[in-house]
Amino acid sequence: MNTPLLSLALVLVMAPLLPGLAFRTRALLTGRRGAPAWQLYADLWKLARRGAVYSTTTTWIFRFAPVAVFATTVAAALLVPLDGRNAVLRFGGDAVAFASVLALGRFALVLGALDTGSSFEGMGASRDVTFASIVEFGLLLTFSALAVATGELSLTGMFGAPLAEHAGALTAPLTLLALGLFALMLAECARIPVDDPATHLELTMVHEVMVLDHGGPDLAFILYANALKFALFSTLVFGLVVPRARWSAPASAAGLAAGLLASAVAVGVVESLTARLRMAKVPLYVFGSAALGGVALILLLR
Amino acid sequence: MTMWPVFGGLGIIALGGVLAVAGRRAAWGERALTWCVWLGGFTAALPAVQVLVTGETLEWRTAVNLPGGDWVFGLDPLSSVFLLAILVVSAAATPYGVTYLARERGHLGVWFSHAALVALIIALGLVVMARAVVPFLGAWEIMAITSYLLIVTEHDRTEVRRAGLLYLVVTHAGTLALFVMFAIWSGAGNDWTFKALAAATPHLSHGTSLIFALATFGFGLKAGAVPGHFWLPPAHAAAPSHVSAMMSGVVIKTGIYGLLRVVMLAGGAPAWWGWTVLAMGAASAVLGVLWALAQHDIKRLLAYHSVENIGIILLGIATGALGSTYGHPALAVLGYAAAAMHTFNHALFKSVLFFGAGAVSHATGTRNLEEMGGLAKQMPLLALTFVVGAAAIIGVPPLNGFVSEWLVFQGLWGAGIAGGAVRVAVLAVPLLALSGGLALACFAKVVGVVFLGTPRSDRTRGVGEAPAGLLAPTAALAAACAVLGLLPALVLPALLRVGAQVASQPAGASAVTLVDVVRDAGRVSLFAAFIVMMLGVAWGARALVLRRRVVRRAPTWTCGYELITPRMQYTASSFATPLLDIFSRLTGVQTYRGATLLHTVSRDPVLDGTLAPLWTKGRDWALRLRAIQHGRLRFYLLYVVVALLFVLAYVVLWPV
Repeated sequence: MNTPLLSLALVLVMAPLLPGLAFRTRALLTGRRGAPAWQLYADLWKLARRGAVYSTTTTWIFRFAPVAVFATTVAAALLVPLDGRNAVLRFGGDAVAFASVLALGRFALVLGALDTGSSFEGMGASRDVTFASIVEFGLLLTFSALAVATGELSLTGMFGAPLAEHAGALTAPLTLLALGLFALMLAECARIPVDDPATHLELTMVHEVMVLDHGGPDLAFILYANALKFALFSTLVFGLVVPRARWSAPASAAGLAAGLLASAVAVGVVESLTARLRMAKVPLYVFGSAALGGVALILLLR
Repeated sequence: MTMWPVFGGLGIIALGGVLAVAGRRAAWGERALTWCVWLGGFTAALPAVQVLVTGETLEWRTAVNLPGGDWVFGLDPLSSVFLLAILVVSAAATPYGVTYLARERGHLGVWFSHAALVALIIALGLVVMARAVVPFLGAWEIMAITSYLLIVTEHDRTEVRRAGLLYLVVTHAGTLALFVMFAIWSGAGNDWTFKALAAATPHLSHGTSLIFALATFGFGLKAGAVPGHFWLPPAHAAAPSHVSAMMSGVVIKTGIYGLLRVVMLAGGAPAWWGWTVLAMGAASAVLGVLWALAQHDIKRLLAYHSVENIGIILLGIATGALGSTYGHPALAVLGYAAAAMHTFNHALFKSVLFFGAGAVSHATGTRNLEEMGGLAKQMPLLALTFVVGAAAIIGVPPLNGFVSEWLVFQGLWGAGIAGGAVRVAVLAVPLLALSGGLALACFAKVVGVVFLGTPRSDRTRGVGEAPAGLLAPTAALAAACAVLGLLPALVLPALLRVGAQVASQPAGASAVTLVDVVRDAGRVSLFAAFIVMMLGVAWGARALVLRRRVVRRAPTWTCGYELITPRMQYTASSFATPLLDIFSRLTGVQTYRGATLLHTVSRDPVLDGTLAPLWTKGRDWALRLRAIQHGRLRFYLLYVVVALLFVLAYVVLWPV
């Protein structure tokens, strides 16, 4: 049984559930009912059947951006050991490839936003690249700490069997890394306290404002890619907290599903407890999350 | 194979220069120049490729009756990879330069500029092939002078002359250090071949530290590593764009070549040197891109990116040096190979970007980003090639920039898991990642402000697609970036051979790690192919879905506000300001905010913030000495008497 491919299929199918579940959790905790957790599936289905309206300012770059975001996020999924043991594709240093291929998607999305000539979307693009460059710093810091901890250069090694082997002796650094990675995930996936995916005031948005002009299948690509990225980061965080390398295949798949749901609920809880930060404070938040990884790295190098 | 095809090829290139001068009044001279550079470049490249494939080394020696001993030229894997970069960039830059300068054809400047370019190509080739001090320094000097002449091609502008002068001063300061280095190294001996230097290394009285300090100064200044980068942005911005590409793509790389050659001849570097280069590399990588973000002049911006990429190359070199020092030969080979590959890749994609920037400024008559916008609609093909170049430089798959950065990351991580003191090198990883993130921001700004949105001034009115003479060389190099990104395994074995040579390791040494890298390069290809395939599939799916739906065109969504003007778009300043605010002090940017205006001015912290004030202060002090130079004879006689008294007193008090 090819568990990496099966796990990939599971994540690809489950991904749209996560943002919905996070919203639902947040709604319930703040005393509202909220939309059903599977709302995003309905949205994607609706969008996929729509036509498109393209701004007269835009070029092929605007049309290409959603496709690139989707394709790169799916490609990134190949590198993550979703079943807790193996990724579909692994090679030394694939952690860099993971970050870089997501960067390609971001580059395309930012260019698509700038292609509209809208000042709102320029604003979102500027903010997104600002925060993302610090997130990349934190992400690679986390991966470096894991490389030192496990002696492996691929995500499969960093989050798979070698991690499970070392996990017992490395409780303190791994806890720091999991916390830091969770905080980075909130920034990377545009959640509170960095960005509010539910806001509809253009001036305060980061990610959502970049996709103002996208509609129909294009928007569906972007929404799905965001959900998938959320799922991938959730898997990574969950992999740090509960290494599943020694679990049986069915248990590991069940663990993966439970981990994804738990991560979405955790994000919902965080979002109901905290407000979003002022824009000027966000870099401090991201640097702070990265610092957790830095402390872990220093502990490991000691 | 012998060295003769290389010399023959350089000869054909020289013939092209002669023909360009002879036919300066007509178009045939320039056509002959282009064909000669292609033909000569192809001929000279053959032995280089063979050396890289087989690993054999070629040498050609002539006895000259001059001080300094024999003149030796050679071709080994290290020289070959640099020679190939030189020839590839030259082959693209020459036809580009012909079209670029065609408007001024017949003026003195144009044929002179072509001739100087030819001389520069030949000098570059000789620099990387020289195996003796005298021909090396001779070629080095010709390279420096011809670069100067090319930089000041448009010498009717003041800032061009200033940039040229700064370059000339700095390059000679570096050359001076090289003279001292070679003099100390060769000692009293009369044999100044590199082989003799290598033989003399164990007998150096103070070890190799002084050699490496001088090499770092001289070659680091040429390479433009922080803090020796300050001459580079003005010079590269002042030059015509094909010269900028040559300068950023290959001329500054001779500094890298020099460092690698010194490491090789000295048989390894001291530990302090590895850590120093690591620090310089990390500083250059982060600060270079940070300063680039602050620029509004597209060519200055690209020039600062060369500083960033030199930083990435230095990180590779540092990994190699530290690997050698701390006894991890596989790490050493990997680090040097990564440096060599990034050198070659940077030559490709930086040329694409400078060519693209040149085509844009050629068409609009400005290099100021704030006056551009929306050019993707007028120059769609140029925009496409520029986007490919930009994606390559920010290091994303499936392009070549990713592959070499991947190697550098692997080297640094390899250091992190190696054990011992070398593990600390892993701290450079997040900084390299930060520079990658900032580069993404920077090129989003460049592409967005130049090619996307709506025009910000009248400069872009009536601009059409770039002429074929500018577009074709750009596209050819962009295609090369894609090929190397998709199939890194084609070149990786050759680059590992270069790394092994610099690390003084036999080619098959420490096989496990190296075989893994080659195997993994195949998987990188697989990954890159998957990305391309997914892009195709998603694009096809989108087209299929939209074929049956209504697709309309409408103005950009503006939240219902009707009176939108292009001035309301995000500008280059406003796009970069949030990032620059985070790193406030380091950037050297001054921000002016008004109710409807945001304006940023960037100063180079090293040149404008440190060196220029120091120079002014020094000059002020020196000016005070003027008081004693007043032209009155009796006071001068008094000085003589006082000096004499001092000397007498000295002799009496401290008898010899």
